[in-house]
Amino acid sequence: MSKSSIRSDPRLIYLLLGLVITVPILTHAVLPVPVSDTTRAVYDFIQKLPANSLVILSFDYSTSTVPELHPQAIVVTQHLFTRPLKILFVAQWTDGPALTDAVLDAVDKENKTYGADYATLGYIPNTATLIGMTTDIRQYFPVDTRGNPTQSLPIIEEFPAAKAASLLITFATGEPGLSAYLQYWNARFNIPVVVGATAIAAPGYLPYLNSGQVVGVLISIRAAAEYEVLINRLGLSGAIPAMVAQSSSHILIVLMVIFGNVAYFVRKQRSPEVSQ
Amino acid sequence: MGSDKPKMNREELILQVIIFSLGFFYAFVYYVRVTEPVDLQAVSDQLFAYLTAMLTAAFAIGVINLTRVHVNNVKRKRPVWKFSVVLLACLYGMAVVSMISSPFAIDPQAIVIPQTLMGAVDPIWEFLYYKVLVSINATIFSLLAFFIASAAYRALKVRTLESTLFLIAGVLVILGQAPITNLVWPGFITIRDWIMQYPNTAGQRGILIGAALAILAFSVRRMFRYPWGR
Repeated sequence: MSKSSIRSDPRLIYLLLGLVITVPILTHAVLPVPVSDTTRAVYDFIQKLPANSLVILSFDYSTSTVPELHPQAIVVTQHLFTRPLKILFVAQWTDGPALTDAVLDAVDKENKTYGADYATLGYIPNTATLIGMTTDIRQYFPVDTRGNPTQSLPIIEEFPAAKAASLLITFATGEPGLSAYLQYWNARFNIPVVVGATAIAAPGYLPYLNSGQVVGVLISIRAAAEYEVLINRLGLSGAIPAMVAQSSSHILIVLMVIFGNVAYFVRKQRSPEVSQ
Repeated sequence: MGSDKPKMNREELILQVIIFSLGFFYAFVYYVRVTEPVDLQAVSDQLFAYLTAMLTAAFAIGVINLTRVHVNNVKRKRPVWKFSVVLLACLYGMAVVSMISSPFAIDPQAIVIPQTLMGAVDPIWEFLYYKVLVSINATIFSLLAFFIASAAYRALKVRTLESTLFLIAGVLVILGQAPITNLVWPGFITIRDWIMQYPNTAGQRGILIGAALAILAFSVRRMFRYPWGR
């Protein structure tokens, strides 16, 4: 295939990329994963939370970003379950309650009891509910996703308002997501916020990390792999095997960029009017 | 200019008064805390609650409209009518199954819906949701990687100073994000973090502040209906 045909027909690139992603996954190759500072900050913050603190997890993503955000949700939830904390699950996206159930099926609940130690409140339909639950969870969530009246849940008796939360973690793809929590929870009640982001969305969230409005950012499936290392639960979310595929695909992209530039300069030398 | 100002009819005037009043109220409540004699923050929160009804109505209208369009497609045997049948079957099939047994079930404690029916429907819902919907959506999103690879090959060229800087930054972030390069040289992760936290953050802040100022300007213009008559 000539260089010009590669430019007009990207199928060779697609084929190579497909190969470098699928072969490592099918061969179950693994790679040591160094832990980045952004991921360690989240782990350290959770480790330092006092016993019986309330942590709220918000599943603000849809099924399309499950490969990136679901592993994050699994490892962070597992970490929370290993600590003496109270956990509430909510979601700003309609897919959230179903994905919450999938995460709860995937983790070891460490003898935690539903209703006393954790509960799934379900979908937050709008900003009104998100604001209202900061002062009264029972009014805005009369029942949980299992149909239990929330006033009968010990965790809600102990924490009737979300403003008592010591940490809010949102796994966010876009809007609604982080910004609502920053405006109505962090700004008004100083609730610390962590965001789990896709690689493509993470650059947009980093200004909030530098300004101190979020205490940590988990970036893509790599953060899940790093978190598996931190909590010493390798293989829990499937993120570690994906790291070889990610590495090989990134290397391929860099090689393609180098090849593209060499081809560009060769073409330019042969005919100086080439502009692209 | 006052002479260019078109006259508002009564309905427009009422609408404009509502827009101005609510806009002013929310801006005032955001900046000024008033708790006596009325807690204005609580009033503001309550007003937000009315959005629920409006948004639900909008959603219902969307479903009704979608149904009308696709039922007409089927009735008139338009060229894509078979896809309309699939759409309607998926829309209402998934809705019914979800209402019977899922985290969105209307009777999760099986007070009205028989437990046996819920038990029979549950594996169907789990299959449709986790095996079909998740897989389809994740596949579509994953195609992005292929387009990015192709775009990187075509677009990242040493043409100008700006494009060269863009290329270098992009390649360094890609290398920093790949665990294998971190094992070769840990400096890649430091460089990636520096690019993401400083140049990227500066650019993102510029965009955020620009967008926020634009929203502010648009809101003020809408509240005062400026330019007049639009």
